[in-house]
Amino acid sequence: MWAVRFEGVSKFYRERSWFSSLGGEFTNLRRHIGARIRRTELEQPGTLALDDVSFEVAPGDSFALLGPNGSGKTTALRVLTGITFPSEGRVRARGRVGALMEAGAAVHQELTGRENVYLYGSILGLKRRSLKERFDEIVDFAEVEEVIDKQVKYYSTGMQLRLGFSIASHLEPDIFAVDESLAVGDGNFQEKCITRMRKLITGGTTVLFVSHYLPAVDALCNHALLLNRGRCITQGDVEEVVQSYVELLEHRRAARTIDDSMPIRVLSACCRDQDGVERRRFAPHEAMQICLEFEVAYPIDDPKVVIGLSDGRAVNVIECSMLEDNEHVCSPRLPQRWECRLTIDELPLKPRLYHVMCTVHDATGQARLFGWENVATFTVEGRTSPEGLGLVAQTGADVAVDVRHRWEFLT
Amino acid sequence: MTDSAVEYEIVHQSARRVSLRASLHELAASRECLWSFGERYLRLRYKQAALGVGWAILKPLALFVPFLVFFGGAAGISGGGTTYAAFSLSALVPWQYVAAAVELGSNALVVDGNLMRKIYFPREAPVIGGALSNLPDLAIGVVIVLVVAPLTGAQFGPSLVFLPLLAVLISLPALAVILPLSALAVYYRDVKYGIPLFIQLWLFLSPVAYPITALPPRLRWVMALLNPVSGPLEGFRRVLALGTMPDWGLLGISAASASVGLVFGYWAFKRLERAFADVV
Repeated sequence: MWAVRFEGVSKFYRERSWFSSLGGEFTNLRRHIGARIRRTELEQPGTLALDDVSFEVAPGDSFALLGPNGSGKTTALRVLTGITFPSEGRVRARGRVGALMEAGAAVHQELTGRENVYLYGSILGLKRRSLKERFDEIVDFAEVEEVIDKQVKYYSTGMQLRLGFSIASHLEPDIFAVDESLAVGDGNFQEKCITRMRKLITGGTTVLFVSHYLPAVDALCNHALLLNRGRCITQGDVEEVVQSYVELLEHRRAARTIDDSMPIRVLSACCRDQDGVERRRFAPHEAMQICLEFEVAYPIDDPKVVIGLSDGRAVNVIECSMLEDNEHVCSPRLPQRWECRLTIDELPLKPRLYHVMCTVHDATGQARLFGWENVATFTVEGRTSPEGLGLVAQTGADVAVDVRHRWEFLT
Repeated sequence: MTDSAVEYEIVHQSARRVSLRASLHELAASRECLWSFGERYLRLRYKQAALGVGWAILKPLALFVPFLVFFGGAAGISGGGTTYAAFSLSALVPWQYVAAAVELGSNALVVDGNLMRKIYFPREAPVIGGALSNLPDLAIGVVIVLVVAPLTGAQFGPSLVFLPLLAVLISLPALAVILPLSALAVYYRDVKYGIPLFIQLWLFLSPVAYPITALPPRLRWVMALLNPVSGPLEGFRRVLALGTMPDWGLLGISAASASVGLVFGYWAFKRLERAFADVV
């Protein structure tokens, strides 16, 4: 059984710069005729966004498409929704396909909120009658009751996005394709979106989800597919695919050219457990040691290392700073290569994926010698409390820090 | 999972053949989307205009004056059985509908290009919806013609019941032109600049400033065939200025020729449609 099925789908975006001029058109025509006469394949400029991609999504499943920027995730969704056609292969979908490619894309500035609900909703494929029934629900979700009869151009950006998401997510399609839309709005609204998505999923909607925000992927999806440069790398359970995605990112990071303008660079970075064994997976409240090997371009006096742990959001969950701790690297003059080890006795983190971020400052804390870079990645797996069931309240508030705690009830 | 999920399956594939039947079927299924696009253009048309719907009244009258002065007065073209004022206004109003529909419909896909890149909907919906969103303006124009009849000396009678039919028949050639033009406009912005010229040229080739009866009878049906707005325009004139029945022969020829054009236009649109989101 499947709800969505890609069968050897390729998508080639032709470069159409020659379309801009008539002269170019003729040159192109000549090339075409020439190729026809010589019976050779014409080599066309362009990009292959999807390269022979095949996969299936089961009905009612929530499926994530992962991959670095430009890997073809969005193209896959565009082909699924019929916005564009595959160059080769075919896409099959059983049921009505709804999509949210960009919250607020079709919200028209000149129209009022009310007009937008009806017109945008019906352009998306909702029937007028069901729009009328759901009108209050849509407006309520978007939190725009007071301004619903004002032109949308007088709305704040957040209000516009909320309205767009609200209309699209009330489509109730059989298959729902969502692209990065949860990254918009403030935390409060993201939470609402995730709750809404959960509701759709439990209601039996098949969801295809594109996001770089791994906590959301983890929280919402069962299965996933990893794309890189238009090719399908792996597919399967979301944990495994996320793991491969992280490894892919790490691989790419290692291959990236190093910023030569910085006097310090990281040679290696790894996480170890209490026995000194290098590991990628940790249990909550386990001990962890982060080992970083540095190389300096010229002797530096008393560099200050700052290590942060992030769960994918812009702000670190935990930050350990030599500046704050007033720590010094012991030797008076640093050799060209040196190692730094940070031991965290008890990792106060909930299960999810974390990035080790690192920066190095000079002794005064003013000049930055090494930028904030993601140097390593690890996951925390298992339960935060041994007796717990691992249930998570569906508040969508993804707080990553887990402190040792106990409850008391006084009556 | 609802039952509707099992009912049908959507397939997107690389095949190049165009099935007009499947396309029309889809268009019929999403007619609400088409009306919504129409309503959208209609609501947007006079937003933030001080005169608002007043423009729908002003537009035919504004062209009417120079027509009256130059063609009726200076050039001395006869009204073909009625006053020149009644004669020109009765055809100007439907012509302005055609002109506005072509202008708006042909640019619809470019104007809503961003929408096309983000959302799926039948691509002809904004084009047809945009074109037909001018129908209320046509209705207002017709009312004006009837209201000013005592001034212009226009006569009308029971043949007014054929006005809706004439509105449909004059929409056919307009859509036949709009569909391929709108598709072409996605690829070439030149279309946008060419359209005003094209409309002007078309005006001179249509019996608006002159009566079709200026041609010898043998050539009239040739004109109705080659320029299928002629039949309906002449029909509007007879109904709104002379108060007689439309010329069914000319109307039939125009309708047949416009229908053939419309099928070709729609087919061309569907051929070009596949790469819309990639190039717009």
